[in-house]
Amino acid sequence: MSISIVPSLKVLKPAAIVVGVAFLGLILGYWANAALTTGNAPSFAPGYAPQQPIDFSHKIHAGDNQIDCLYCHTQASKSTSAGVPSVAKCAGCHQQVATDRPQIRRVMEYWENQEPIPWIKVHDLPDFVYFPHKRHVAAGVACQTCHGPVETMDVISRQAPSQMGLCLNCHKEHQVEFGTDCLTCHQ
Amino acid sequence: MSFMDTLRTRWQEYRKPGYYDEFDYAWTMTIDLDRCTGCGACVTACQAENNIPLVGETELARGREMQWIRIERYWEGEYPNVKLNFIPMLCQHCDAAPCETVCPVSATYHNQDGLNAQVYNRCIGTRSCAVYCPYEVRYFNYYDHEWPSPLDQQLNPDVSVREKGVMEKCTFCIQRIRQAKDTAKDDGRRRVLDGEVQPACVQTCATEAMVFGDRNDPQSQVSQSMNDPRAYHVLEEVNTAPSVVYLKKVEANVST
Repeated sequence: MSISIVPSLKVLKPAAIVVGVAFLGLILGYWANAALTTGNAPSFAPGYAPQQPIDFSHKIHAGDNQIDCLYCHTQASKSTSAGVPSVAKCAGCHQQVATDRPQIRRVMEYWENQEPIPWIKVHDLPDFVYFPHKRHVAAGVACQTCHGPVETMDVISRQAPSQMGLCLNCHKEHQVEFGTDCLTCHQ
Repeated sequence: MSFMDTLRTRWQEYRKPGYYDEFDYAWTMTIDLDRCTGCGACVTACQAENNIPLVGETELARGREMQWIRIERYWEGEYPNVKLNFIPMLCQHCDAAPCETVCPVSATYHNQDGLNAQVYNRCIGTRSCAVYCPYEVRYFNYYDHEWPSPLDQQLNPDVSVREKGVMEKCTFCIQRIRQAKDTAKDDGRRRVLDGEVQPACVQTCATEAMVFGDRNDPQSQVSQSMNDPRAYHVLEEVNTAPSVVYLKKVEANVST
């Protein structure tokens, strides 16, 4: 006695379509979730240039006046984080320099009120990334490698794509010891 | 040679216990059970150091606890001749780890320091590793855990806060190892000195039951501690070649 496969096809075909659609939905959903929640987060995308509380120009400081990056971002050579200079650092110069400009007056207002300037972070990395500035400064990596030509920017904007490829290519190129091990950067 | 070819040809080599002897460090911990009082300070220290969430009563009842190190209690005998044994159980950082072979995305792997690494951002949460782990030391984030204020102020900035759907486990305090390596580099040393790295649990152990160090260095405290005749691995028969060595509790033949 032979069994016809026609009845089973009648069941299997719609079932296969349902499973197929569900699977496609899963993939689409996963992709959409990943894209919406992390991929396009504004602070991680290149070109991100928020309006800062003070119109601070890196071009005037680092470009025209040739102030070294480490003069203000002192922690870069000593710590994981490069750090944002305190208002005291600004006041140190601007009690004497360019005191008549409106933006400088605003800085000095913060100084007189003893309040920090609420700078908005432009170069932010996800929490699971460990990026020690001090190791990179010690290895002689120029700040511009990741931060772009800061000394030409009036408004600071994010330059480097926050993708692993940037880190890995550089680590490979310079043959960093265990530079491609996941735990070197991930925590 | 492509990545897959390398993997295929070197797979046996990777799986061989002790493969990492030739590598940089082989981080090892010894736990002297004779000294362990079961106080649980290591558990608390780990919780504070590694941003481990408190899951709460309901979740705990569902078996969704979060403790990278836990104190296992074993009762022996009947009251009043009862004896209590403690075994602090944490990730054994096995050289032939079953969890590493099953991860579909290689979120867990062995690195050159003999550490069983867990890369949170790579993990897709299949939980196969937790199934394969014979020590039951892998914990899954069923929720985005919250730290009600002011507890969020005590989070360790050197450790990432794991999100929902990610597996986590003991890292041997990788942030401290990394910091010690950083300090060594600053001092112009190639290697970390013995005793320079201490995971939170080792640091806090009141009876100094735990010793942490590099077993590649025969002079290190941990290597000497491993040579103790009481040394054994938990579940040695499953042949995982763990990096955590326990020193057996000596039974005192006291008749009561």
